[in-house]
Amino acid sequence: MSTDIVTRRRRRFAGVYLGYLIAALIFSGPVLFMWWSAFRHNVDITGSIFDITAPLTFENFTNLFDRFAFLYYIRNSFIIAGGSTLAGLVLGAPAAYVIVRRKMAGLGFLTLLARMAPGVLFVLPLFILSVNIGAPSNTALNFALLISAHLIITLPLCIWLLVPFFEDIPVSLEEAAMLDGCSVWDRFRAVVLPLVLPGLSVAVTLSFIFSWNYFLFALALANNDTLPLPVIAFNFIGQGASDYGGLMAASALISLPALILTIFAQRWLVRGITGGAVK
Amino acid sequence: MTTTSAQTTAGASQEPGPAAGRTRRRAGPPPIARGVWPLLMPAMVVTGLLVFLPVIYTVWLSISERQPSGTNTGFVGWSNFARMFEDPQFWNSVQVTLFLFIVCLTVETVLGLALGFLLSIDVPGRRFFQGLMLVPAITAMVAVALVWLLIYDPTLGAANQILTAIGLDPVVWLGDPDIAIWSIAIVDIWQWTPFMALIIAAGIRSLPSEPFEAASIDGASGWAKARRVGLPLLMPVLSVAVLLRTVDLLRFFDTVYVMTQGGPVNSTMTLNVFGYRTAFVDQQASYAAALQLSLLLLVVVVAGFFTWWRRRLSIEY
Repeated sequence: MSTDIVTRRRRRFAGVYLGYLIAALIFSGPVLFMWWSAFRHNVDITGSIFDITAPLTFENFTNLFDRFAFLYYIRNSFIIAGGSTLAGLVLGAPAAYVIVRRKMAGLGFLTLLARMAPGVLFVLPLFILSVNIGAPSNTALNFALLISAHLIITLPLCIWLLVPFFEDIPVSLEEAAMLDGCSVWDRFRAVVLPLVLPGLSVAVTLSFIFSWNYFLFALALANNDTLPLPVIAFNFIGQGASDYGGLMAASALISLPALILTIFAQRWLVRGITGGAVK
Repeated sequence: MTTTSAQTTAGASQEPGPAAGRTRRRAGPPPIARGVWPLLMPAMVVTGLLVFLPVIYTVWLSISERQPSGTNTGFVGWSNFARMFEDPQFWNSVQVTLFLFIVCLTVETVLGLALGFLLSIDVPGRRFFQGLMLVPAITAMVAVALVWLLIYDPTLGAANQILTAIGLDPVVWLGDPDIAIWSIAIVDIWQWTPFMALIIAAGIRSLPSEPFEAASIDGASGWAKARRVGLPLLMPVLSVAVLLRTVDLLRFFDTVYVMTQGGPVNSTMTLNVFGYRTAFVDQQASYAAALQLSLLLLVVVVAGFFTWWRRRLSIEY
């Protein structure tokens, strides 16, 4: 009797694992293919995909750094994603706190609305602004503009992600601090903020990835000195159509931070990309 | 909160007698929630500058005529919108956008339900697999588009090599106007089905077990339980997933812009790409503004419809 249950359970497991295997093949196949191609010689990439014994190489990556100064564009991406994440957090954390304390559900919805607006809608006004203030020829100004543009992504995201964390903080702690005569700012800084540190790290992680991956704003607004990775990779298509190895190496580098974070912060990522739809 | 106080005020002006008791309920937020406004202000100001100002400026652009040289010749009324309604390219891009929206959303929902069910089953290694399913959604759109560009390559791409290996004819994935839109849809389905599945799986795992037990006692089959009990209970979560995808699908941009730039023969020209190209390739800022506002309207209307539909569902269950 009991062995019967065990076999049935095993059979069910086998079915599930078969499903897993098929799904994993389909959904991680192209990503694995990208990494594999990034390490293959161009001659082999243009050859058969079934030739899995062909030697691998770092050439595609070293080319990126030697010939295309990729380190410079990585730095640009770090400046833009880092800057907009920091700004999003500094502005978003106090805002999320107020939204929770004043129970402003409507404003939470407004941040969702900001997420809904098509990015193209912002690009045109920002572009005209950038021309008027001379940002296309001024590197510092251009970075400032790009960071501001990316703030449109990171600020609502930070607020949205932080609200549930602030909701978890008991009111009693703050009441005690208030009796001790703490001002609102002191209470927020010294009592509340340390308690939402996990939330802050989630917000930092996800904002950074979203900003790092974002393509449209930089496509329209960046100049040659401020181009971030996604745009430079896109520009590669025109330059060397046959250099698939280089393209795949660039793609692999772009997706590296997100991949690393998937490994270390998986639980939070699910919550983050689903926008708190599922807790 | 706001409605309560508004009603109280209205009542107070009409009948002063009993209102005295009600005003105490208007005492406002608890003490710790007082004086917190300064913390919200910076975010409000920045949002106003970055979100609302551009939208207002876009509205102005759409009813005026900005020349490619940068000068604006002033108010022109509805002419940009009138032009839009007569522009076959505009209607084509609406069609492409809606086509991609419907095809991708349907397939992603159906496959997402199946994969989500699979992901909700408790077996050892589930977490690892869940992490694996995150990878497509978290990979930069540009990187995804570039990989699929290689996969779709007509002569040396992986897709055609596999087709040839199993004895099928190779396909011109991105060069044929009738096929390109499907190829683009496949990329989106590939990237976002696991995302749907993750939300759905989390939803399934949080379902109460009682309704299912009751259905079992009534003799319901496994399929009937899933269809008649599980699906309705899952609707609130499913509708969130559908809403998130809807918003992104109507704004379809990155994949198309990197892979086909709207071609061949405008067959993949989504409204978003069309608006962008009108602004930055054709340099017609005012017409582009009108196009972008129509896209915003489309997103708000469809998202509003889904939100309304969601409310109705939550009342029913």
